[in-house]
Parts: sequence; structure tokens; C-alpha cells
Amino acid sequence: MSNTSLNRRAFLGTTAAAVTAYAADMTGLNVLSQPALAAELKKKDKRVILLWLAGGASQLETFDPKPGRPTGGPYRAIQTAVPGVEISELMPKMATRMKQTAIIRSLNTKIADHGGGATMMHLGRRDEPSVRFPDLGAVVARELGSADSKVPDYVSFYTQTEGRGSGTAQTGGFLGARFAPMYLTDKSTPPYLSRVESITDIDHQQRAELRDLLSKRFARAHETQSVGSHNQAYARVRGLMSSEKLFDIEQEPQSIRDKYGPTQFAQQALVARRLIEAGTPFVKVSRAWWDSHGENFETHLELVTELDHVMSTLIDDLKDRGLLESTLIVTLSEFGRTPRINQGLGRDHFASAWSTSLTGCGVNGGSVYGKSDADGNTVADGEIGASRLFSTIYQAIGIDPYKEYHVGPRPVPLVDNHADPVYEVLV
Amino acid sequence: MRWNGSPVLPGSWFVRVVWVALLSFGASLPVSAADLLPADRPVAEVIDHYIDATLAKAKITAAPSANDENLVRRVMLDLVGRIPTPVERREFVDSKATDKLPQLVDRLLKSPEFVDHQVNEFDWMLMQGSGNLRDYLTTAFREGRTWEQMFRELLLADEVDPKAKPPIDFVKTRVKDLDRLTNDVSSLFFGVNISCAQCHDHPLAKDWKQDHFYGLKSFVSRTYENGGFIGEKDYGLVSYLTPKGEQRQAKLMFLSGKLIDEPEKAEPDNKAKKAEQDELKKRADKKEPPPKPSFSRRAKLVEVALQPEERHFLARSIVNRIWARLIGYGLVMPVDQMHSGNPASHPELLDWLARDMAHSHFDLGRLMRGIVLSRTYARSSRWESSARPDAALFAVAQVRPLTPYQYGAALKLATTDPDMWKTLKSADDVAKRASDTARAGRSWASLFQPVSDNFQVSVSESLMMANDTRVMSEFLGDGGNQLVGRLKAIDNAEQQVECAVSTVLGRLPEAEERQAITGYLLSRKDRSIDALRQVVWSLITGSEFRFNY
Amino acid sequence: MAADPTKLKVAKDVGRTDVLFHLARQPGTSRVFVGSSDFKLYELDLQAEKPEAKEIGGHGSYVTSVALAGKTLVSGSYDCKLSWWDSENGKSIRSVDGHAKRIRMIVASPDGKLVASVADDMICKLWSVADGKLMRELKGHDAITPHNYPSMLYAAAFSRDGKQLATGDKTGKVCVWNVADGKQLGTLDASGVYTWDPTQRRHSIGGIRSLAFSPDGKRIVVGGMGKVGNIDHPDAPGRLEVFEWPSAKKLYDLQTEGKLKGMFEQLAFNADGSWLVGAGGGYAGFIAFVDVNNGKIIFQDSAPMHVHGLSLAESGDTIYASGHNKLVRWELNA
Repeated sequence: MSNTSLNRRAFLGTTAAAVTAYAADMTGLNVLSQPALAAELKKKDKRVILLWLAGGASQLETFDPKPGRPTGGPYRAIQTAVPGVEISELMPKMATRMKQTAIIRSLNTKIADHGGGATMMHLGRRDEPSVRFPDLGAVVARELGSADSKVPDYVSFYTQTEGRGSGTAQTGGFLGARFAPMYLTDKSTPPYLSRVESITDIDHQQRAELRDLLSKRFARAHETQSVGSHNQAYARVRGLMSSEKLFDIEQEPQSIRDKYGPTQFAQQALVARRLIEAGTPFVKVSRAWWDSHGENFETHLELVTELDHVMSTLIDDLKDRGLLESTLIVTLSEFGRTPRINQGLGRDHFASAWSTSLTGCGVNGGSVYGKSDADGNTVADGEIGASRLFSTIYQAIGIDPYKEYHVGPRPVPLVDNHADPVYEVLV
Repeated sequence: MRWNGSPVLPGSWFVRVVWVALLSFGASLPVSAADLLPADRPVAEVIDHYIDATLAKAKITAAPSANDENLVRRVMLDLVGRIPTPVERREFVDSKATDKLPQLVDRLLKSPEFVDHQVNEFDWMLMQGSGNLRDYLTTAFREGRTWEQMFRELLLADEVDPKAKPPIDFVKTRVKDLDRLTNDVSSLFFGVNISCAQCHDHPLAKDWKQDHFYGLKSFVSRTYENGGFIGEKDYGLVSYLTPKGEQRQAKLMFLSGKLIDEPEKAEPDNKAKKAEQDELKKRADKKEPPPKPSFSRRAKLVEVALQPEERHFLARSIVNRIWARLIGYGLVMPVDQMHSGNPASHPELLDWLARDMAHSHFDLGRLMRGIVLSRTYARSSRWESSARPDAALFAVAQVRPLTPYQYGAALKLATTDPDMWKTLKSADDVAKRASDTARAGRSWASLFQPVSDNFQVSVSESLMMANDTRVMSEFLGDGGNQLVGRLKAIDNAEQQVECAVSTVLGRLPEAEERQAITGYLLSRKDRSIDALRQVVWSLITGSEFRFNY
Repeated sequence: MAADPTKLKVAKDVGRTDVLFHLARQPGTSRVFVGSSDFKLYELDLQAEKPEAKEIGGHGSYVTSVALAGKTLVSGSYDCKLSWWDSENGKSIRSVDGHAKRIRMIVASPDGKLVASVADDMICKLWSVADGKLMRELKGHDAITPHNYPSMLYAAAFSRDGKQLATGDKTGKVCVWNVADGKQLGTLDASGVYTWDPTQRRHSIGGIRSLAFSPDGKRIVVGGMGKVGNIDHPDAPGRLEVFEWPSAKKLYDLQTEGKLKGMFEQLAFNADGSWLVGAGGGYAGFIAFVDVNNGKIIFQDSAPMHVHGLSLAESGDTIYASGHNKLVRWELNA
């Protein structure tokens, strides 16, 4: 062999004699660039962006204001674009976009500690030691993603450190690690999406092919799901590496970046839109930390103002691209906050009567479901728990909420107890 | 159209029907002792007897025995958590002794590495790898304590004795959630996950009713934490709501249904409770443990669970968990669903092993030794002619993902210069160096997924292995102590391939592999050291290396 | 009898169900006006055996401030409105849309001719007390924090001669203004009262909550809360930063000790400037007396409530305070 650099074909040529039996298997990478993928995406092009308001956002300073009540706090309620529906004055931009959003004001989820609440609101049910339930993102990735997608099918941002460990173990639960999120914490791009400098692209590619060849020999005599997932995980590497630019907002026109603005939450929301646009079915953008035990009104002035802007910009951007009708935006926390205002002008943990919003795909915009009492202490009408909310989310994006998975012989309903969707907030 | 109610999908129908059929099989409680093989037969022999009998009935020919290279890798991964060094492998493979396997197993069971590995495994099982119990587990395994003793200490350890303090962390880390404590005790020690019986009678198992959950909870419901100590109240009853909304008071009842008598103790009045609170606060401030109860329900649980008529719960559960760990698939699956609705694949074998476990006072080493010396354990994992047979037949060895600790250790060991081991003076020196090397590799463990049922490898692992600079430096460096360093000193591609494959995979390359890798190396002569790195990378990221097969 | 801060004791404690955010007192009397979380203003006599709260009027949100300029009472609220009232008969005089955003504080000039209002629109406005005319707008505080969140303009104080006015914002910036022509005379950096948590919780807490000129005009004291570890809670010590004026040089800062945590919401110098009283709180209240000349805390103690409003009697021996669910009268001359 000469010292000239060899392309992939040449390498295959040298080994072809030995590996003809396996060459047919070495097409994993090629599949990723085929148009079949695009068609598949088109077919199931529903998406979810979860704005996870970690720490517990106050329903009273967002979607269920109680102006003038002893529990109401200082902020007034403002009229929205939907007659009769008022939200907090801290959300003026959302008020004008209310026709695309539905509010549920009657969540009673009972668990008011961060860990337990976050787990429940990620799983849509109480955790059980006997079953490792997948979280919302894993289920959506499983139901709406495609097996060999070259974009990640579940991306999760959680940049702040507080509460980062709460909620789920990021494992995909019983659906398996295939549906675990690509989890971004301190950086805005997922780790290991780019090739290290010390290896050339051709070497990177060829060693993957060599690996594939050797592993497939083993896999042939050891055909199990785990071994299969191992080789599938490696087969997706080069495709995923090509998605790195999706995480780079520099790729967006300045005008779009200006609309989102400079905050980290806004920039991650913009990445979420880029991912959604490229086919990622589920993106979770966490914004921590809302746990305003003291100075609730100052904290919410900061954080709700940001939420109002980010959510509005996201809605507009998706709408401009024709993606809003296929993308569901959900705002959710582990719980809401107490109507009672403590001496530090704070509100504490409260799971008995709080709110969530659903925007876009499948949503009956402008609808309001459920009601809390005059002071917001209890649900007065339409009480629902996490399971009906999840059922509603699944129904909105076309996943049959009555579907069942099987863990071993045990049937596990997608939605706890086969709870019904809240049809009132759906089209 | 909108759905009304819950549609039943064909798939789930089928499963339910099968499930109901399984239920009608009835009890999985111990088979009569008279029907079991005699107690004095060797464990390994008994295992093969029962497994072979089922295979014969199913008319399936089991896979042949794994070869020595494969077996020594498997045994070492299972008993000491790491792959063999080339020297250790050579010694085993070359040995002509007919009892070389028992010799190896007995040596491993006595090694410090065995203790380390059991600590890792039990820390995962009991504490999800939190590490809280490591010190305790290390002492326990080093002293060869029995599972009976560990069970007692984990639930009852007296904190006044500072040496015994750690094991109570099992209780302490769960005491704020008594439902969880109840279920974890039930599931980890008795193999019975009764969490769904919390809200209703178990839908699948006739033997688990709400009474069982709350009966078991009654044993731990008086337990509390005060000032960092675990205490237990003298009073307090558990009551619960039935699905029909009926309020019931739980009886102190073990999983077998056995009811426990206890001295009557009335609920103290508010004044007495206030005094108790004050006393507890005082003790907490003084860092003193709370007063002892006159009757400890938790102690009663341990006592009852070890009684001859009830101890089969503890015995069957640990047998099944160890079996599942070493064989890759439990006699009952999942391992926390040991109930009449989910019978064992080999009920007599489970009963025999459970009886043996109880008779040996819960000697874990004896069971592990018996399993790894069985023919069942030693089968090859290869199965090509047809679809792999049902795992519950144990006709072929399971392919098991390495645990994060095992994979970390294996990566480090396999990428160490293979000739280095030859320079060490004694087998003990090799073991010691291998143990240190493995431990260094285990620092990578947190980067890999823990093993679970239906384990899948995620892209975060493949991306990291593909693109992390640390992988390059730690495993693919060409320094003096590293595999790539050794390979570059070899001037012949054929020999390089042989060295790389046998060091990483513990076997000689086969013809196809030889040709493919040699071809690659020859085509990359322009950057030959990089080419060697790519070859090693393709081996350490390969499935053969990633799994215990 | 001279006032002795170390002799501080609660002489009257009036329970309430609301939060009283600000307090103004008719000079020479114990008649106080307070703004409430129930959107109303009340008048009470804190020397009375059983002080009765007389409702004066209301706003559309929390009444965050009340200022007494002669006989005229001016109130401000989160409803962005400023209202004029006759303090003697409680009659409404006028109401104006004072600011584009929430009004945080109003202070009256010593001669009673002007009131200054500060609000979240980050503007300080000077109003003629007599006719409600807007005299001047003072703009020097950024609307957005360095971390791109809305800032807040919390505090204002006139110098004793009425010629200068200081305003303080969330990020710890103080602007000092020449009242006569509205020119900015200088700024102070008191950013020790602002905590931005970039990593753990990624928002902020704190800000300048109170300001005071020493009687001789040579010191400006900034009140707030020290750096907070866990910004879920107002759990850092109360913090004062003391500046020399007009050099704008920071002289020192000091913090409350022990369990006294939270923000200095109010500051007042005694007549001769020998000490300063500050009060505030977080989940509980505190009060502290400081010798501004040497930077020593003379006396500090817990208060019966998180204090939001305060007035020091001319004689210096009585303190009237309002706050969370309470009004208190302290005596200092036991």
C-alpha cells in the first residue's frame, strides 16, 4: 500500500474479500441520509416543547390571578385577547396571544416536595419502586421519534444547578436508554457531538466501520436487545454529530436572535425551536429556580417577565414557520405556590390548586378549564391530577392516551389508571 | 371521534389472557421437602439436575460449554468484577488440572477483590450505589458474614455502638417515607414488591392484599429519625382506606399472613405526647439516641422473618437475586415479583436452593460457588442456528451488559501493556496490580448506565466513547504502560493484530478479523500509530468487550 | 431624658391581618398614616389605648408608600397612581397616573413643597404638592439589570436641607440629584446589597431598599441585605453601606449580626446625627442603631415583625413602625 491518503471506498476495497458476508450490514450510516427519513418525519411531525419551570412557579402571578384578595399579592389581572379570560399583569405579551393557549386552573397533585412533585409531573403518576416509568419526554420520543433518526429525539436543558437532580433519572425508564434524553447542563451544546482534533474525519469514520464489522460478528451469535441497542447507539453517532449545528444559535439570523433576546432561557428556547424544526419530537427547556419562599413578587417580576417574553416569542416564531399547529408548548412545574403570603413576602410549596398552560398543537386556544376558589386555596371546579393532564397532552399530539405498554407480562397503561383527557381544552 | 373509556388493544388482551392462565397455576409456595433432591447433594449438581430435566422435557439441546478463555473471563467478572490479566488467563487456559475451575473459584472467593466486588454489587442492590453502606458492607463481606446476619444488622443495627452505625443507613435513608421503607424491605429482602397493594389488592397475585402491605408497614411504621438516630415508638397503629373508601386498621401481619401478638399499648394522651416530644428534642440537642421501645416491632419483623416457617421469603429472594446476577436471568423474573401469579421457572430448584440457603444460615459464598461451578453457568453464550431459546430455560448463557464498574475496570485493564504483567514476580503481585488498575478504571463508572432489566446502551455512551478526549488519552495513549505503546513496538501487522485482539478480547483473532484488521493497518501505514489507536478503539467499544457473555 | 437606643422596648403592639408597607407621621404627634396590602390607607394614633384604624382611601393595588407634606398626604401604589389627600379630613384631593410601572416609594421634601416618587419605570418624578404638577423627571437608572432582567427603583431620600435627593435601585446604584435643576450630581456603587446568582438559581434578590442623608449632608447611608447564599430566602444579614458625600467615597459597610436577617427597609437619623436607626427584616424583623461616625452598631435586636415603615419622633425617644401584620411603638428612654 502506498502512503497516499485513502478514502473510505479504498478501505472497504482492501477488506472486502474478508468481509463480504458482513458488508451488507454496513449500511447503517447510509440509511441516515436517505429520503425515507424525511418522509417518516412528515408522517408523525408532531412535537412538544416543555417549558419546565423548576422550583414551582406561582399560579397567582401567572395564569390564575386573584387580584384584590388577601392572597392575591400586588399584581393586577389583565384582560386577554379572549373575552372573559384574565391573567396576571406580568404576562402582557401572552395576554395578546391567548387565543392559542389553553389554561388549566384546577391541578391538585397533592405532592408538595420538590423531588416527589417533580417526579410526579415528569411521569404523570406517582412513582412506584416496582416499575421504572419513562417520563413524558421518553414516551413522546418513543411514540413520535424514528428509530435511526439523526437528530436527537429527546433533548433536555437544565442549566441551573438547583433541583437538577429532581424529577427523573434521565434513563428512559422501562423504555430503555434509547429514549433517555440528550441532557444538557452546563453547556449549550451536548457533549461529544464534535470530533476531537487529534483524529481525522476519515479515521473517525473508518474506525466506526471497523468497530461495526467486529461487533456484528459478535452480535450474530448473540442476538439480544441489549447487544442490538449497543450497536444501534454507535450507528447513530455520526448522524447525531451532524446535528451539532442545531444547537448553535449563531446559525440564526440576527433578527430572530434579537427577538428571543439575550437571556439563557430565551436562547435555549431558540435552540428548542431549531431542534423541533429539524425533527426532534421532544425538547424540555428547564428554567430554574422559582422557589420564592421569600420575595415572591420580586422573583416573579423577574421570572414571569422572562417567561412571558420567551413563550410569546416562541409562539410567534413557530407560528411564522407554520409549526405551531404541530407543536405543543406546555408550561409545567412540580407544583404551584401557596396563596398565603408569608412574612418574607414569599409563597411556599402548594400542590392543591395550581395551573398549567397548553399552547399550539391540538389545543382549543382560549379555553380555560377548571377553577380555584376565590382565594385560590382549593380547586372549586374540574379538579384533575397529573394523569389527566398527561392524557390531555398525549391526546393533543395524537398519541392514543389509552395505549398500554408491557413490562414483562405486566400491562402498564401509558396514562395512569387510563385517565381521560380533558377534552374541553382540546380541539 | 373521541374515545369513551378504555379500549383494549389486541396485544394487551393476549397478555391478560396468558396472565390469567398463569394465575390459575396457583401457589408457588415451597414444594414438599420430601419431593426435593436430598439436601447433601452438591449445589452445582442439583442445579444441573433440575435445569437439565426441564431442557429434556422441552426437547432442547443446550449450548456446549464455553471455552476456557470465555469461562475465565466470565468467572472473574462475576466474582471479582474485572476481566483477567493476560497472565491470569494464560495460567488458567494452559493448566491441565481437572479441578482448575474449582481451584480458581475458591481462590477468587477468598480474595480481597471478591469483597470489593460484592460491596459494589450490594451497594447497588440496597442503596442504588449511594455508597452509604460501603464501609459496613466491606466489613461484612470481609468477615464473611451471612445474609441472615446482614439482614438483621441492616434493619436493627444499634447506633450506640459507633462501629455498627453505618448499616442503619438502610433504614435511615428511607425513614421519611415509610411506604417506601415498607416496600423496599419487602422487595429487597423478601422478593415481593407490594407497592401496588398499597392502594388496592394486587391485581395479579392472589396472595397480596392491602392487608399485606399495611401489615408489613405496621412493622416499620413506628420507626422515626431523631437527631440523626433511628428510634421506634411504643405505640401507633396503621390505618388505611380500601378502594371502596372503608377505613381499616392494619394488623401486625407478616407476608405469609402470620399475625403477631404484641403487648397492648394505648395511645398516650396529648400531654404525654408533648412530654415525649420535649424529651426527644432534648436528646437530639445532646446527640443522644432516643429511648428504646418496650416492644420493638422492627425487631419482631426480623425475628419472624427468620423463623423456620417464614424464612423461605428471605431465602428464596436472595437465592433468586444471586442467581439472576450470576446467570443473567432469575428463576423468577422480575426478581421483585415472587408471588403465586408469577411462578418460578424451576420451582423445585428454587426451593432446594432456598432450603440450602436457610440450612447454611444464609451463606452467600456457598451459593455463588455452587452456581459458578455448575454446567448451567458454564454454557457458551453463542446461539446461531435458530432464535435464542427462552431465557428461562437456561439452555444458553445469557449475554449480560457489564456493570459500570466492570466496564470501567475492563477498559483500564485491557488497554494496559500486556507484557507488563509478565514482569511481576508472583500471582499475588499480578492480582494486586490488577486490582489497583481495575479500581482506577472504576472512576469511569459514573459515565455509564447502571444495569437494569431490558438494558439498552444510550447514545450518550457511544458519543462519549467516540468523541471524548479522555478516552483518547486514557485508553488509546501510546505510552510505555499502554497497549498502543506495546503495539507500536511490534513491527509486524499480523502480530499487532494478534496482540491487540488477545489483550482486549482475551482470545486469538479469527481469520476474518485478522484479515480485516490487518488490511486496515496496512492501508494506514502513513499514520500507523493512529491506525493502532483506531483498532484498539474498535475493540474496546465493540459489543464483545462491552458484555459479559 | 435623652434617648438611649440600648433601652429600646416595645411600648405598643397593634395586631393586624394585613401588611403595612409604609408609614408617615404628623410631626409632633403620634398620628400615623399607613399604606396597606389590602389596597387601602389608614390613619391611627399609636399613643391611644386602643388605636383604631380609620380608613382614608384606597388604590388599585398594594399601597407601598405614604408621604406627608405639611397637611397634604400623598400616597403611591403598585397601581402606578399617586393620590393626594387632605390629612386632616381624609378627603381625596386628586389622583394622577404617576408612573408607567409600579410605584415603590414616595418621600416629601423637608419644606413640604415637593414629593419625589420612584417606580419600576426607573424614573424619579418630582411633584408639586400644592397643585399636583409634575415638576421634573430624573432619569439615571437602567431599566434592565446587567443580567437582562427588569430592574426596580426602590428607594429615595431628600437631604435635610432639601437641596439634594438620592435614589437607589435594585442593582445597588445610587444617583444623587440636585433638586433645583434636576442635574445628576454623582452616583454611588452599593452593589453589595444586590445578589445575582448565575449558577444555582439564576435570578436575583435584594436591592437598595432604603436611603438616608446624615443631617449635615456629609454622609449617605444605603440600606439593604448582604450577599445571599440561597436566594430562595431573604436570609442574609441586613446591610448598610456608608458613603462620604460629595466625594462619593465608600467609607465602610456593616451588617446585622446573629439571627437578624433580611433587608433594611427604613433608615432614620436622629436630630443631631449621633446615631441612625434602621429596621426591616425577612421572615422576621430586626431593628438596629448605628453610630455612623465610627461605623459601630450601638444596639441591635429582633423586631416583633418584618418592619416596612418607620418614623422616628423629633425627640428621638419614640419610634413608630409598621410592617407584617403589625404596628409597633418603641420607647428608647426607659
